Parts: sequence; C-alpha cells; structure tokens
Amino acid sequence: MQEATLRETVLGLAEEAGANAVAVAIHDFEHRTSWRLNGDRWFHAASTIKVPVLLGVFDAIEEGLLDSRSRVHVRNRFFSAVDGRAYRVESSRDANSEVHAALGRTLRVSELAEHMIITSSNLATNLLLDVVGVDRIRATMDRLHLEGIDLRRGVEDEAAWEQGLNNRITADGLCRALRLIEERQAISPEASDAMLEILHRQKFRSGIPAGLPDDARVANKTGDMSTAAHDAGIVYLEDRQPYIVVVLTEWEADGNARQKVIARISRAVYDYVTAGA
Amino acid sequence: MLSLPFPCVDGLSLPEEYRTALRPGETLRDRTGRKRVLPRTFLRIDSWEAARDTPLTAHFMAWELIGVDVREAPVQRAFPRYVPCAVLLLAAALELFRMEVGTYVHVAANGGYRSPGHALNHHASRHCWGTAANIYRVGDTFLHERDAITKYTSVARRLIPGVWIRPFGGADGEVDDHLHLDLGYTTFDPLQSDEELESSRK
Repeated sequence: MQEATLRETVLGLAEEAGANAVAVAIHDFEHRTSWRLNGDRWFHAASTIKVPVLLGVFDAIEEGLLDSRSRVHVRNRFFSAVDGRAYRVESSRDANSEVHAALGRTLRVSELAEHMIITSSNLATNLLLDVVGVDRIRATMDRLHLEGIDLRRGVEDEAAWEQGLNNRITADGLCRALRLIEERQAISPEASDAMLEILHRQKFRSGIPAGLPDDARVANKTGDMSTAAHDAGIVYLEDRQPYIVVVLTEWEADGNARQKVIARISRAVYDYVTAGA
Repeated sequence: MLSLPFPCVDGLSLPEEYRTALRPGETLRDRTGRKRVLPRTFLRIDSWEAARDTPLTAHFMAWELIGVDVREAPVQRAFPRYVPCAVLLLAAALELFRMEVGTYVHVAANGGYRSPGHALNHHASRHCWGTAANIYRVGDTFLHERDAITKYTSVARRLIPGVWIRPFGGADGEVDDHLHLDLGYTTFDPLQSDEELESSRK
C-alpha cells in the first residue's frame, strides 16, 4: 500500500463511520520510517493521558522521590485545577472497581500504575497525580522533549472540563512517547522495560489489536470518552521489528462503532507497514 | 506500676532523624496562629508484627491507628515507629464509640497518628498529637455521604466528652468522605518509676 492510499483509506474509514476528525501517527522500526496524518492536531487526551502519567511516575521513582513499593492512601477526594473545589471519581464511570474497593486503605505505587494502565482506573490515575504532581510530570515531559502532550489536571475534573481546561495530546506526541519506551530511552532502560511490561498487560483490546492477526502482540493504551476514541500501541509481529501506531478520533457525543473504526485503521496500517514483506 | 502496651520513651532522647520527624516538645501554630506544644513522650513500636498483634483496647489494635502512606517521613514508615502516648486516650475514646455502634470501626490510612513530618499536615493538625482519627467506614457503611456522617457525628458527640468533630462539607476545614474526631491538643505523659524512666532513655 502506498502512502497516498493509506491516507485515503484512513480518511475514508473515518468519514464513513461519521468521525469529526482523525489523526494517525506511525513509526516503523523495521524500515526506520514514520508516517503521519494530522499528526500535530490536538485532541482531548481521554485516558491516553495515562501514558504520560506513567512516565512521570517512573521518573519520580528513578529520582528517588518514590519507590514502586511505596504505599498510597486510597482516598476519593481531589481538588479541581480551576477553582480548588473538591470532586470525586464516580465509581460507576470508572472501568476499574478494585481501586475503589481499597478506599481507606493503601495500595502500592506499582499496583496503582498497573490499575491505571491495564484497566484504565481513573481513581488510580488521580491518586498518582496527587502523589507525583501535575507540574512535576509536565517537567518530565519537557525533559523528554515530548511536545504534543499537555497534562493539565486530574481525570473527571468536571469544573475544569466546563471551563475548557483539558488534558490534550497529538498523535505525534503520543507516538514519540511510545517510541522512547520501545527504544528503552524513557527515563532508563529498566524503567522502560517495566512500563512496557505494564502496557503489554492491557485489557482493552478492541481497537488496534482487533485489527491485527491473532499472533500479533500489542502493548497499548486506549482512551474513550463521549466525544473521543483513541488507541496507541506498539505492535510486535513475527520476524520483523515492531511498529508504533497511534489513532486519535473525535466524534459527536456517543457516536457508534468507534473502536471498530480504530481496528479497521489499525488493519490498514498493518497492510501498509507489511506491504512487500 | 505502669501498664503500657509498648515501651515509653522520651522523644528528646531519640536519634536525630527521629527528632527531626517527631519534633518532640516543639511548637506548631494552629489556624489562629496560636502556638501548640507537640508531644514529647512516645510509645515505641518495634515491628509491624507487634503493631498487628498488640491491642490498645478490647477492639483496637495498634496498627489501626498508625497506618500512613508515602507522604509520611521515611523513618516513620519503617520500624521502630514512635507514636505519642495520647494515642491510648484516642483508642479509649474510639472504644466507647465501637461499643455503641456494635460493629467494626475503620480508621483510614493517614487517619490516625501522623508525625509533624507528614506532608499532609496543615496548621497544627491533631493527628500530630495522636489524638485524631479519620473514620471512613463503620461496619459496611462507608462514610462518604452527609446522612451517614451526620448519624455517627451524633453518636460520637453523645459518647465522647470534649470530642471535636470536623464539620461536613467540601470547603477548606470541612470533610465529606470521613468522620474526623479528635480530642484536641492533648498530651499524655504516663507516670513512670525511676527505673522505667531510666530504661526509657536507653
């Protein structure tokens, strides 16, 4: 498949499904090539912001500010980034119930990091953000030269949402973050390995992985909210170097078949990177 | 003869890293700016097993009032750990509450004793005196709604003389996800014999 064909395919799939916007970024380690469509367009990050948070947590561990075994009090009370008002993460809107079940007690940093990524726990994310700090994670992003990632606040901060203060990402930014992890240059080789191991245990597989052959392994993180559906992953195939693919989409509220279109775009990217193999 | 569940020690005799975290006999300012003198006498808990297995009252084990997280000073996340002797008075107050409600009373992590070195402390938190408890659950009821918190506030006020309950709400100085009760800036220096005092300095 040619680049122009991939572009037409992606745009066609998105338009056919009714998406308002789509962006794709690819980096192929096999051919050392990159490809992008709307790669620098900003999207609401939804739960893909948890990848930068993971980087920030491992940076804090590397700097000795935290230990992966450190315990964190599980408390569902956070403060809005815009007015300091207290808010909670609604358990009914959180994909993970295990962290909510630990209210009042403590969980280890490593456990929270796993819940944050593997089952996309919003509560775990906010607890880690509280411990590490938004400003510190932003500094980590700066140090890693990760433009295209704009962490502003905790998850489910409705007051911030109403005022338009949201976490944002671009396909390029997220692709660069995954590339650092795969190249073992994110924080440290050991930290990269640990983050990769967590991403490999992802439970949500209806996006990028669903468009791939059964023997493909994917380390990915999804993001899903009323007006956005994303997936970003590192794809490992037999007998070739891996490739990174990031698919970001924007929709009218609660549009249908959003993960399905991401899976179809994932298939098109697979066909593109493996063409001629 | 003294009857304490753990050895009692003079905080000023502790190694520097502990004195830095515990600040025995020093002062903190409360919300009004008034100076409050921190406890000087502490119980020494040597291990997690000792905390887990040692009752302070009929229904409260030591571990229930010393749970902390990564925000606590490092020396107070390890063992031996030191807690003000007034934690015994707190346990006694909680025991009254426990007997009345007839079910488990759960104190949150960071919701019992916190040293002055704990990052969550504001002003002169009574948690630094070992006289405050954040109860997040009574039996199967989580205290994260007004009705439940109000109900158990009434119970605590009726049973515990002099208790102070943090007001319900989401503003600064209020809580809406637990019942904070405390016995104020209370210190407790148990009477000890000369031999016990000498032993505590070792």
